[in-house]
Amino acid sequence: MTTQTQKDSPERYTISYKREDLNLFIYLAGEFGLKNLAAFNSDINREIFRQKLNSVTIDFSEICYLDSAAALALVQIRKDAVAQDIPCQLVNLNDEAKGIFSVIHEDALNHPPFKSVQDDDDFIRRVGQSSLYIMRDFKNFVTFIGDLMVAILYIIRHPKTLRWKDVLFYVQRAGVDGLPIVAVIGALMGLIIAFMSFLQLKMIGANIYVPSLVSFAMIKELGPIMTAILVAGRSGSAYAAEIGTMAVNEEVDALNTMGFDSVRFLAVPKVLATIIVLPILTVYADFFGIIGGMIIGVTSLDLTIKTYITQSIKNIKVFDIVTSLIKAGVFAALIASIGCQKGFQVRSGAQDVGKFTTSAVVAAIFLIVVADSIFAIMFYYI
Amino acid sequence: MEERKTIIVVKDLTARFGDNVVFEDVNFQVYKGEILVIVGASGCGKSTLLKIMIGLQKPYAGQVLYQGTDIISANEKELDLYRQNIGVLFQSGALFSSMTIKENMELPLQEYTNLDPAVIDKIIKMKLGMVNLAGYENYNPSELSGGMRKRAGIARAMALDPRVLFFDELSAGLDPVTAVELDDLIIKTNEALGTTMVIVTHELESIYKIAHRVLMMDKEAKGFIAEGKPLDLKKNSTDPRVTSFFLRQVPAAPDEQRYYVS
Repeated sequence: MTTQTQKDSPERYTISYKREDLNLFIYLAGEFGLKNLAAFNSDINREIFRQKLNSVTIDFSEICYLDSAAALALVQIRKDAVAQDIPCQLVNLNDEAKGIFSVIHEDALNHPPFKSVQDDDDFIRRVGQSSLYIMRDFKNFVTFIGDLMVAILYIIRHPKTLRWKDVLFYVQRAGVDGLPIVAVIGALMGLIIAFMSFLQLKMIGANIYVPSLVSFAMIKELGPIMTAILVAGRSGSAYAAEIGTMAVNEEVDALNTMGFDSVRFLAVPKVLATIIVLPILTVYADFFGIIGGMIIGVTSLDLTIKTYITQSIKNIKVFDIVTSLIKAGVFAALIASIGCQKGFQVRSGAQDVGKFTTSAVVAAIFLIVVADSIFAIMFYYI
Repeated sequence: MEERKTIIVVKDLTARFGDNVVFEDVNFQVYKGEILVIVGASGCGKSTLLKIMIGLQKPYAGQVLYQGTDIISANEKELDLYRQNIGVLFQSGALFSSMTIKENMELPLQEYTNLDPAVIDKIIKMKLGMVNLAGYENYNPSELSGGMRKRAGIARAMALDPRVLFFDELSAGLDPVTAVELDDLIIKTNEALGTTMVIVTHELESIYKIAHRVLMMDKEAKGFIAEGKPLDLKKNSTDPRVTSFFLRQVPAAPDEQRYYVS
């Protein structure tokens, strides 16, 4: 008789083999479970299939632990042996082992899946599916904008129906809470523009134009676009995640069944709050951009604070400030609308919330840049 | 009389949140192969006890010994080994929504074993067969009903053939027929595999049907007030807190506190 023992695994087993002519007897002792399944499976298989046999008998009398995975492996060993024309029987099973073998059903093991896994490598299918998604997204967005317009018109006619408390809450969230980061980013942007332009302009002795360049760049372009991107990252994503989580928790369905218009209830306060705060944040960012530029102006260009400020406002017209604020307002409407719309698209689970939150930020930034390009051309001809 | 083997020993366990003592000096054993049901009114600390027993929460004091190892003071390696020996079914099933049922079940098998994918596939099919979900491996959790999600949760909890299964509010939110099916599944699994089960619930029908032993917790007592077989507790207990629970009798409120619908 030969014996194999495994000691490394937390479940220890011993297998003894005895041959009588071409009949193999396998005696199992110890613990047989998932943790040592790979080891005992290969041990037994090696012994059975290394030579021609007339029969195999697996004896369970010394087993002290058996789990369902181990039982399944032993059933598979028996099946493989029978497939090789070697009769195989499992003997001396106690009641516990019999109970464990009773949970293994051939029907379940061979049951075909009700649903097949889709082949993600099919390029044409993916292109088609993506095209359909884009069309569906566009349709959803247009529908949502329509719903939003209807809701806003309703609120204009019935201002008391607007939840002003919510508007103020989101003004605080999107605006007041965002002041520190907008100030820091604005100041650093002004500082960078001033420093870079100073390096170039000093070569032709045109340092005096640095303040106006900074203020012009900040007010006309960088202020609105940079603030909008920050708000898209902070608030657009938060709107999508908040509404998305509510959709998963059936809170949106609850609102609808209670007779509330979910767009009016959830989206309008967010959109209005963002439209209120983004122009203010833009002015704030412009101010800190000029302050940032002033640090370079005063420390490196030998300009006085008064001269820097005079030079900064010299070339700025009221039209520039007004267009900057209009742009900020439009960007705000885009950010909040896309954030809310993506939130409403969430159907189930954490992954959907993540997917649509990311999508809200990406789509908002894309739309901001597209809108800015349109404004650039439009304002040039005005 | 055959001595019952103990698999978990809870010793002098105290849980508190700040000054609020949830329970203190709780002592009990879980015996191998039994279905132990922990019952009690909402807020008595059942779920806190369960969280401590599965290693998700640290108690204020005390020990939880699994086969001699205290999991409260255990290092990460010992805790990891303990986690491989237990399975947990959370109240909502807690299946990962981004994965199919098969992927949910593959996760622990791939993490803790070095089995071939074909063997893992067979094990998954077997476990799904055990919970009557054969063929549903490629479904996402969102495509299944509440009862099916619970059964899939049980299949995932059993993926590693744990020695102990913990259930938090087993049949909460399920219709009576589905709840009965789930109870049958629990009994069948316990009888066939001999898996020890610790179940937190307050569904009376379920308790009578599945419990080998009941431990009843009470908020005021800050611990257990009764232990025994459910029918024995119902018939023989003299404690009004126990009888009111098992007989579903709500203590009468004074007239001035009642609100009538006219």
